[in-house]
Amino acid sequence: MSENHHHDKPGNSRRSILSWFTGAALAGSAAISALANLVFLKPRATYGQPSRYSIGKPDDFPSGTRISLDSRRVCVVREGQKLAVISTICTHLGCTVGVSDTGFACPCHGSRYDQDGNVVGGPAPKSLAWYKVSLAPNGDLEVDTNLPVDQGTYYNL
Amino acid sequence: MSDLQVQDPPASAPKGGLVTALTAFPRNVWDSIFRHPLPDSDLGASQTSFSNFFLHIHPVKVHRNTLRPLYTMGLGVMSFAIFLLLTITGILLMFYYVPSTTQAYDRMLDLRGSVAFGTVLRNLHRWSAHAMVAVVFLHMCRVFLTGSYKRPREFNWVIGCVLLLLTLFASFTGYLLPWDQLAFWAITVGTSIAGYAPLVGKKIQFLLLGDQAVGQEALLRFYVLHVVVLPALITLLVAIHFWRIRKDGGLSRPAEADLQPDGKPLQVQIVQGNASGKQTFGLMGFVRGPFTKVGNTPDNSVYAWPNLLMAELFVFVVTVAALLLVSLFFNAPLEEPVNVLHPPNPAKAPWYFLGLQELVSYSAFWGGVGVPGIEVALLMLVPFIDRKVSGVGKWFAKERFLANTLFVTFALLNVIFIIIGTFFRGPNWAFVSPF
Repeated sequence: MSENHHHDKPGNSRRSILSWFTGAALAGSAAISALANLVFLKPRATYGQPSRYSIGKPDDFPSGTRISLDSRRVCVVREGQKLAVISTICTHLGCTVGVSDTGFACPCHGSRYDQDGNVVGGPAPKSLAWYKVSLAPNGDLEVDTNLPVDQGTYYNL
Repeated sequence: MSDLQVQDPPASAPKGGLVTALTAFPRNVWDSIFRHPLPDSDLGASQTSFSNFFLHIHPVKVHRNTLRPLYTMGLGVMSFAIFLLLTITGILLMFYYVPSTTQAYDRMLDLRGSVAFGTVLRNLHRWSAHAMVAVVFLHMCRVFLTGSYKRPREFNWVIGCVLLLLTLFASFTGYLLPWDQLAFWAITVGTSIAGYAPLVGKKIQFLLLGDQAVGQEALLRFYVLHVVVLPALITLLVAIHFWRIRKDGGLSRPAEADLQPDGKPLQVQIVQGNASGKQTFGLMGFVRGPFTKVGNTPDNSVYAWPNLLMAELFVFVVTVAALLLVSLFFNAPLEEPVNVLHPPNPAKAPWYFLGLQELVSYSAFWGGVGVPGIEVALLMLVPFIDRKVSGVGKWFAKERFLANTLFVTFALLNVIFIIIGTFFRGPNWAFVSPF
């Protein structure tokens, strides 16, 4: 008993070092397991919409068009030979904004945007995103929602 | 008292033999399940409480103050009763529900149209969820306004705050499951609010949804959270919450409640031990607090069986009856099936989130993350900020005027925001008059 007592003194034996290592190993294992579970829960592939898609031929959108493509949650704007695709996802909390004569309006919390997507009222913190437009080899217009562009960046047909 | 664990053999113990075994069979089976007959004495009441799995969560005796209906208003037991009701109705609903975007809404219609008692079960589950949010909140108000969060009950208050948050989250995840318009847009808004949290917001949002937008993955994730993860967490925390009530010395009560009829404080007798100077304590002397005592001095406690048990049963029955009545006469809302292209205008969350939605309409970060985060942090820190031990166990104690005023203001502000969001907001969240 007395010998054990001697070894139990803190900082005075292999035992305290081993205890420390064991504790660190257990805590480390728990942390790694927790991290692995988080990684597991984060999907690598999603089943939702692709970020790059075709919206049709340029002729589908005559000059002066402001059409909301509801299923893609974007608005296609064409003025003369210039074309742009503006997101209709409200920057506030993700509702779909409606296209109105003066711009865009959100039904959820009353954010309002002008025709270029600048905030003119309501709680929205930033203007609507503009997405990169390009012409695919088959003549279709292609939108990439992973590539936002500066406001006012039109695609010249 | 030393033979509490030992079962005295019945006086007329059968003496073997097949016939006696057969005639005594029902009795023997009964006795093997229930260790004690219904109590007819104080000792019997104690032994019944000790030896029954469901009763041993109770102390043998409780303070009279615990049983004053106007002190607790039974809100804690009521919350638990509603939670039990939600668990049972929820498990039943699971037999008919499919967490699939193409089937969930049809299953709701089936519940209403072709499942026996389907409508009333869904009503009961939905209204109970609403009731649980309200009752848990009122329970918190009771605990605050009677100063019951103070030492040694600080940590149980914190657990209670976490339980309130879990109740809200369980309710929130349940909202998505019918896959109607309310479900879809409430979850779109709610998860976007999570996205405003600093640094990890977008990651949390993606983890919750399992995708870039609300869809099949989100429905499945919310379903698992709603039927497994959150109920399991709530059950665990409720168990700790109950256990700590006893370990923290029972329900709070005013200091006067422990005085003897002669006006003197209760004396716990400590028996002086042997000559070595070490003290020997009676077994019950180890139980903390001035409440459990040794000796024959009169005290202010009553047996849990039947006093506490009957009080709990009363609250339980009234709660279930009230919710059943509501569910028979009012149908749970079910909106149009999801239309991802057209949010309803205005798109409103359930009433208990409308205060949050009202705040969010001013500023997404401050309304959705900043203010609620500060509120929750302050609530949990309350017992560690307010350390004075005066005014415990009394509603609206004079000594606690400042704390109570602050809390009532906080609670009223939340209620006012909920009322504004519910009645004063119309299309595009513009101000409308309900009159």
